Amino acid sequence: MNFFLETLKVLLLSIWYNVESFIHLFVPKKKKNIAGEVVLITGSGSGIGRLMAQEFAALGTVLVLWDINQEGMKETARLAKSSGATRVHYYLCDCSDKNEVYRVADQVKREVGDVSILVNNAGIVTGKKFMDAPDSLIEKTMEVNIMAHFWTYKAFLPAMIANNHGHLVSIASSAGLIGVNGLADYCASKFAAVGFAESVGLELLASGKDGVKTTIVCPYFINTGMFDGCQTKWPRLMPILKPDYVSKKIINAVLTDQVFLLVPKSMYLLAALKNILPMKQGILLGQYMGAFNLMDKFKGRSIKQE
Amino acid sequence: MVIIIAEFFVVILKVLWAFVTAGAKWVVRPKEKSVTGQVCVITGAGGGLGRLFAKEFARRRAILVLWDINSQSNEETAEMVRQIYHELDTPVTQDGPVGGVEEVPPCQPQVYTYVCDVGKRESVYSTAEKVRREVGEVDILINNAGVVSGHHLLECPDELIERTMVVNCHAHFWTTKAFLPKMLELNHGHIVTVASSLGLFSTAGVEDYCASKFGAIGFHESLSHELKASEKDGINMTLVCPYLVDTGMFKGCRIRKEIEPFLPPLKPEFCVKQAMRAILTDQPMICTPRIVYMVNFMKSILPFEAIVCMYRFLGADKCMYPFLAQRKEAMNNNEAKNGI
Repeated sequence: MNFFLETLKVLLLSIWYNVESFIHLFVPKKKKNIAGEVVLITGSGSGIGRLMAQEFAALGTVLVLWDINQEGMKETARLAKSSGATRVHYYLCDCSDKNEVYRVADQVKREVGDVSILVNNAGIVTGKKFMDAPDSLIEKTMEVNIMAHFWTYKAFLPAMIANNHGHLVSIASSAGLIGVNGLADYCASKFAAVGFAESVGLELLASGKDGVKTTIVCPYFINTGMFDGCQTKWPRLMPILKPDYVSKKIINAVLTDQVFLLVPKSMYLLAALKNILPMKQGILLGQYMGAFNLMDKFKGRSIKQE
Repeated sequence: MVIIIAEFFVVILKVLWAFVTAGAKWVVRPKEKSVTGQVCVITGAGGGLGRLFAKEFARRRAILVLWDINSQSNEETAEMVRQIYHELDTPVTQDGPVGGVEEVPPCQPQVYTYVCDVGKRESVYSTAEKVRREVGEVDILINNAGVVSGHHLLECPDELIERTMVVNCHAHFWTTKAFLPKMLELNHGHIVTVASSLGLFSTAGVEDYCASKFGAIGFHESLSHELKASEKDGINMTLVCPYLVDTGMFKGCRIRKEIEPFLPPLKPEFCVKQAMRAILTDQPMICTPRIVYMVNFMKSILPFEAIVCMYRFLGADKCMYPFLAQRKEAMNNNEAKNGI
């Protein structure tokens, strides 16, 4: 196509997409029907994973639950069944172990079928200052928060591509957009998760597989116990989030094929500002938002036994 | 209520002031600090950018410690560095001894080479121990080593994905853990992370690389905040995010031909010179060329669909495909040769 014409087309389309986004602030998008889809959720034994399982269950999906904690998973399965899931399967799986991921994935493919919605939710945090964090925990954080995503994608993406139908959901974090004092390894892993999910999303679009959608979720702190003890400086602007609020937003984003979901809404502004302002400003803003002291009183959950 | 308003006003004033100082930097170039006699560790010194960094630091009389997994290219870099040292010292020694008294050059920098696989934690720690014993405490750490698998995600062997992650991201953890404690103690040091613009925005085909570079940037940012919070203001950090550099690492990568004249692959020397300027003036971040800032800016304010639209327009969505195809062909050729 002629260069000038194409430039014009891009400019117009860009303006249109911005207008469309603005409109969608007021007019809700149409939600897709996912009844009967096979939804796999890692880390579904607790927290957001459990709530998402219940939400997905209420939409008539087939649930496949993965977690390292058998008891938590059983409880989630019970809750999901009572919320209306047609079938619920659960498998014990340590996402940090590549071979285990592949083995259990094969089992799922045999026993349940092809996964059409993959929710990479399992995540851990050490919460120590970088120099005090043991190397093994740093490696574990990276293994669960990002490496696991590689393996699950490799296991389940081929079928989605073959059918040109699917949805890849990556539960990252705002700490995957903005660095936080006291979360060096967690930030590394969450930034990587965001970059990876985005890159795969772009590859799917480039290869014309527009039936496979991507959603990247970056919430602020959620009070599930994972970040217990963390304090936010201005609670009205950046509140510590309620888990059921976040999980509802996530389901909504999945049903409307939203690519980036940042919770709360003020996070969009913060992430944008961070990239626009010179670094010193970003730091100043961070200090103003109390970002430097978020992790000061971190207690977290006790590390689960492996 | 009053407190938040007051603090808000202070913030606004500081923001405005910082814009003024940033603008001033365009006019008055800040003074570059001296690194004479300081110990500088460069990972991945055998190739591309690492070699050029070594030469630049050598010109400034730093003591160089070169790490690479490939001993041959590492030694080649060391040879070039020795050559530079010799050229620097020649004016002094050429006059020779006068009246039996020999002029001693003010500082006799040296270069040390170590073979190290930065992807392996133990290798990093043991090599760091050797450096501390044989050379001394490290002042400047350049985390430059980087690899790319060169395969689409679903065609990429798991080992290569893991390799990309451990060399491009995990290695930074280990080198920082090895050298930061002393820097903290002395409240003096500089850590440079050589990431990539593919750590700010991604593209198709290089998923493992993007993940690792995003991770490196996340770590860098978080660590710099941690250092700021601990008020160790003698330790600086610089993040280097170059666009495509013409070192051969991404040979074949090509954006749209009409745009290419405006955004050609960077010459490595230019990229390193810009990076050196940033490092020596304690600038926290440098993107080369400046247009990368623009892309980053647009990415943060535009909706995703608009960004995809722009990528397609620039030919950036498939820019890595020729690179991947070339890699595949090279691999097939190798296999064919070995098969015979």
